[in-house]
Amino acid sequence: MSTDPSVGVPESAARAHDLELARRAASGERSAQRALFLEQRPNVHRALFRILGSNREIEDLLQDAFIEIFRALPSFRGDSKLSRWCQTIAIRNAYLAISRRRPPAVDLALVEDGLASGADVRRHVQVREATRRLYAALDQIEPKQRIAFALAVIDGKSLAEVAELTETSMFAIKTRVWRARRELMRRASKDAVLSAYLQELEGGES
Amino acid sequence: MTDDERLGPPPIEPLSDAAWSRIERGVWSQLDAAGDSRSEPKVQASRRWWLVAVPLAAAATIAVIAFGTRTTTTTQVAEEPSRVVSGSAPSSVSFSESHIELDADTALVMNHEAGHPVALLERGAAWFTVAPRLSRPEFIVRAGDATVRVVGTRFRVARSDERISVAVEHGVVDVQFRGRMAAVGVNQRWSSESPGQIATITSTAPQAGIPAPSEPATNALDITELETPSPASQAHRPGTRPTAKPGSKLDTRTEPKPDPAHTGDQAPVDRDRAEYDRLAALEPHDPDAALAGYLALVRGTSRWADPALFAAARLAVDRHDRRAETLLEIYLQRFPSGANATDAKQLLTRLKADSP
Repeated sequence: MSTDPSVGVPESAARAHDLELARRAASGERSAQRALFLEQRPNVHRALFRILGSNREIEDLLQDAFIEIFRALPSFRGDSKLSRWCQTIAIRNAYLAISRRRPPAVDLALVEDGLASGADVRRHVQVREATRRLYAALDQIEPKQRIAFALAVIDGKSLAEVAELTETSMFAIKTRVWRARRELMRRASKDAVLSAYLQELEGGES
Repeated sequence: MTDDERLGPPPIEPLSDAAWSRIERGVWSQLDAAGDSRSEPKVQASRRWWLVAVPLAAAATIAVIAFGTRTTTTTQVAEEPSRVVSGSAPSSVSFSESHIELDADTALVMNHEAGHPVALLERGAAWFTVAPRLSRPEFIVRAGDATVRVVGTRFRVARSDERISVAVEHGVVDVQFRGRMAAVGVNQRWSSESPGQIATITSTAPQAGIPAPSEPATNALDITELETPSPASQAHRPGTRPTAKPGSKLDTRTEPKPDPAHTGDQAPVDRDRAEYDRLAALEPHDPDAALAGYLALVRGTSRWADPALFAAARLAVDRHDRRAETLLEIYLQRFPSGANATDAKQLLTRLKADSP
């Protein structure tokens, strides 16, 4: 489900809205800054959640991302949607953070071991466990590859979209996703849960 | 693997409201800190300590104003707790059916306490235009130790560290300051430096805070002059300040200059406001002259160019003046996010819908 507030709005109107909101927020108008924050926080959160795999260390990243967004607002020209532009900054920020200090894998304690009753609960536990193993493996690979894989394979974005978000070429993204996949499969060779989950996610790649 | 067995991508787990609040507070706090460091680069550490150690001073005001003839509408209505910080340019905000004009480098927190709208002036200065409250709760302004309960008026509160001043343009304001109460009336000024004294503002002392009446505008502006404002007319450009010298007779084409060394008790002269009010009063009796006057106001860079241009357009609409549509379009072109932009758009839409 899209969290982009401009979905369903004519492109020109959405662009005008983006430009106006960005202009007011850049001028220091707090109500506009707050409106922008509320409007964009689902998109920014989604991008960062996909990269990190959990909310555990996301608060600092979100705060830094929005501060960067507000600082960069005067340079927003409306060439892309404001939501896309904000995500790009958030992803760039996440890359720098991951490069500096790799976040730990999803905490095993988050998986509710004792809830294996009922299909939904069992499924929930399976997803959590598979997610934990996936992001534990992603923690071990190169940050650019991790981001490309998270956005393209886990979040299901097109390669072109990921290329735009990460400000690089489609060829580079394709290469990064391929390398990430190869490394993850290598690690999954000894992990049946991760292997099955990767195969499932790959099947859903756009 | 069947569809039923598919796990799907990891679900996005929502963040709690408390987490978002923490993030938001962190963002604003850092942005404010960055803004403060830009506007107040020379604050010394010792002064900061003093600011923390000494209870912040206060002052405030109340007043009543029947701005029945005023037609400006406001853009932003803050119905929930919010903080407004103006940067290098003045800005305005609507709050609880009142209009607040913030000077540059002013911080104001708007909130509700027990049903009362409360504006807390953290620093700087602002004009408050409070609509008559009638059955509505009193409007309260706080500045440090001072609390002002407003029934409805137009007044200015300025604060510079411990110094606070209140100047009243319309109505009466009760200023409560450190256990003492003072009533400040029309053309009177109160200062925390002499809390027991009420000074009268004379027309020869415009720096006291009340705008002096200006000469009536007699020159109607050619409509084409409005379409392309000169660079000098771009008021509130970030990083720029108006050029009028403090204490000098203000050129009506310039914005009142926010004084970096603002002492808190010298409200800027605003002849354009007085002129705007005069024209608003003139409207019912001589709408043609009022319209011409509004257009003359638009010629400069005054903050009143926005409401004046809208008032001219609205008056033109009311009078079925053929310039109405053009004026509205010029307004939206010149003030796309102006205080009256929403109304201007609605008027323009209505006008176009009604036109054959």
